[in-house]
Amino acid sequence: MEQRLRSEVKALLEQGKIDRVIGFEPGSLKFTTTPLITSDGGDVDRLVINPFIVNNLSTYLTGTSGRVGIVAKGCDSRSIVSLIQDNKVLRENVVIIGIPCSGVIDLTKVERLAGKDRDELDDIVRQGDKITVTVDGKKKEFLASEALFDNCLGCEFPTPREYDILLDEPVTPSPDKAISEQKLDSLREIPPEQRWQFWKEEFSRCIRCYACRNVCPACFCERCFVEESEPQWVLPVPRWQDNLIFQVIRSIHVVGRCTDCGECERACPVNIPLRSLTREMCNLAEELFNYKVGIDKEAPPLFIAYELEEAEDLIR
Amino acid sequence: MPVVSQHARMPSSVCSIDILHFTGVKLKQAKEWEPKLLGFLCRWCSYAGADLAGTSRKKYPASIRVIKVPCSGRVDPLFILKALQMGFDGVLVSGCHPGDCHYQTGNYRARRRIAITKKFLEYAGIEPERIQASWVSASEAVKFTGVVTEVTKGLERVGANKLFVDEGQGDGTATAQ
Repeated sequence: MEQRLRSEVKALLEQGKIDRVIGFEPGSLKFTTTPLITSDGGDVDRLVINPFIVNNLSTYLTGTSGRVGIVAKGCDSRSIVSLIQDNKVLRENVVIIGIPCSGVIDLTKVERLAGKDRDELDDIVRQGDKITVTVDGKKKEFLASEALFDNCLGCEFPTPREYDILLDEPVTPSPDKAISEQKLDSLREIPPEQRWQFWKEEFSRCIRCYACRNVCPACFCERCFVEESEPQWVLPVPRWQDNLIFQVIRSIHVVGRCTDCGECERACPVNIPLRSLTREMCNLAEELFNYKVGIDKEAPPLFIAYELEEAEDLIR
Repeated sequence: MPVVSQHARMPSSVCSIDILHFTGVKLKQAKEWEPKLLGFLCRWCSYAGADLAGTSRKKYPASIRVIKVPCSGRVDPLFILKALQMGFDGVLVSGCHPGDCHYQTGNYRARRRIAITKKFLEYAGIEPERIQASWVSASEAVKFTGVVTEVTKGLERVGANKLFVDEGQGDGTATAQ
C-alpha cells in the first residue's frame, strides 16, 4: 500500500494534477506519525502508511491553497465530504487518496496490555486480527480489538466512500456499538445529577488550550465564539462553568460535521473523554433526523435541511 | 399604593422594612423561591400572542421574562446555556407554527437546533424541563398562558437551578433578575 501511495503521489505531482500533498510521515517519537505537507516530489518517499496514522488530515485542507492531494481513512474522507457540503472545500480541488482502514492503534491500550511504557516496547506489528508486541525480545500477541481506539471499534465506514484513488481492497465494516460506546452507556445509566457532576469534575481539569478545537476539521470558524468580546460569552479563564459551556457549544456546532474520528479526545492534554460528548451528537443526529455525516456530498448540511414534520414530540 | 413593592425581585430586606415602617402592616411571608423562566418569543407570532394575553387580561405566572427575537431561528443554543449559567431556572423558545414562519423556514431550523440541544443537554445532565419550546401563534393567547403555566409547574417540580453554582463561590456571573 505504501509503495503504491508513493508512486501515485509522485505521478500526480509530476503530471501537475496536484500542487501539494497532505500525508503522514514517521513522527519523532516511537510509534507515532506526523502530518507531512509538501509540494516537492523528493519528499514523497517519506510518506508512510501504518497502524499509527491517527490524525485526521482534513483539518489542514481549509488552510491549504491550490489543488491538494490528501491521504484519507474512512472517517477522514467523511470529514472531507462534510467540508464539501459546507462549501469550505471544492471537490475539484482535492484528490482524495483513500486508505481502506481497519482501525488505528491506541498506544495507551497497548501500554496497558503489555504492562510497559511505550518507550520500552521494541515493536508493534498488526496482522489481521492480531497485534504482536515485542518487549525485551519476547513476543506477546493480543487481539486487535483490544488495542484499537474506541471510535475505530464502532466504525461503520472503514473504507472511504468518496475517493479518487483507493489504495487497497475495501474493508468490510464490523462495528461493535456496545464496545465503542462503553463509556457513553455507563454515563447513560447514572442519574442526571451525577452525570452533571461527572462533567463538572472532568471540566475542572480543562486548561482551555483549545487543542480539541484546533485539531477538529469540523471547527473551521474563522472566529470562535469563545474569542468574542462583545458580548463575552465565556471568560477566557479556565473555570469549569465556562469550560463546560465551551465544550457543549462546540459539540453542538460540530453536530452534523463530526465523524467520530476521535481527534479531540486524542489531542486533549488532560484526558477529558470528549468523545463521549461528540459521539452522542452523532447518535442524536441519526436518531432524530436520520442524518449520517459525510455520506452524500450533494446533501445540505444538517442544520440547513429540514423535514416538514419531525421532532414535534419535543415541542409543545 | 400596593403593599408589595413593584420590584418583586428587590432584596426583601430593603423593601419590607420600608413598608413595615410606613404602614405597620405585616407583610405576607415572601415566597421562598419562585421559578425564573426566560422566554425567547418570536416577533411575529409568540410575542404578539403574549401581547394578546396581556391585553385580554389573561392570567399567567409572573415567572417569565421575555426577550423579543426576530425569529425562533435566531435563538442560538448558546443563548439557552448562557441563560442557565446566569441563573434562570428554565428557558422557553417560542415561535410560529411550522409552515407559518415569516421567513418561510426559520422555525424549521429552530426545531432541529432546539431538539438537538434539548436532548444533548439532557444527556449532559440538565433536566429536560429546563429547556422548553412551543409554537404559539399571534391569536393563541390562551395557548400562551397555558404553556407558561405548565412550564412553570415543571420548573417548580425540578426546583431551583443550581447547575452552575460552586459551593460557597457562586457562579461568578450576574444573577438573573
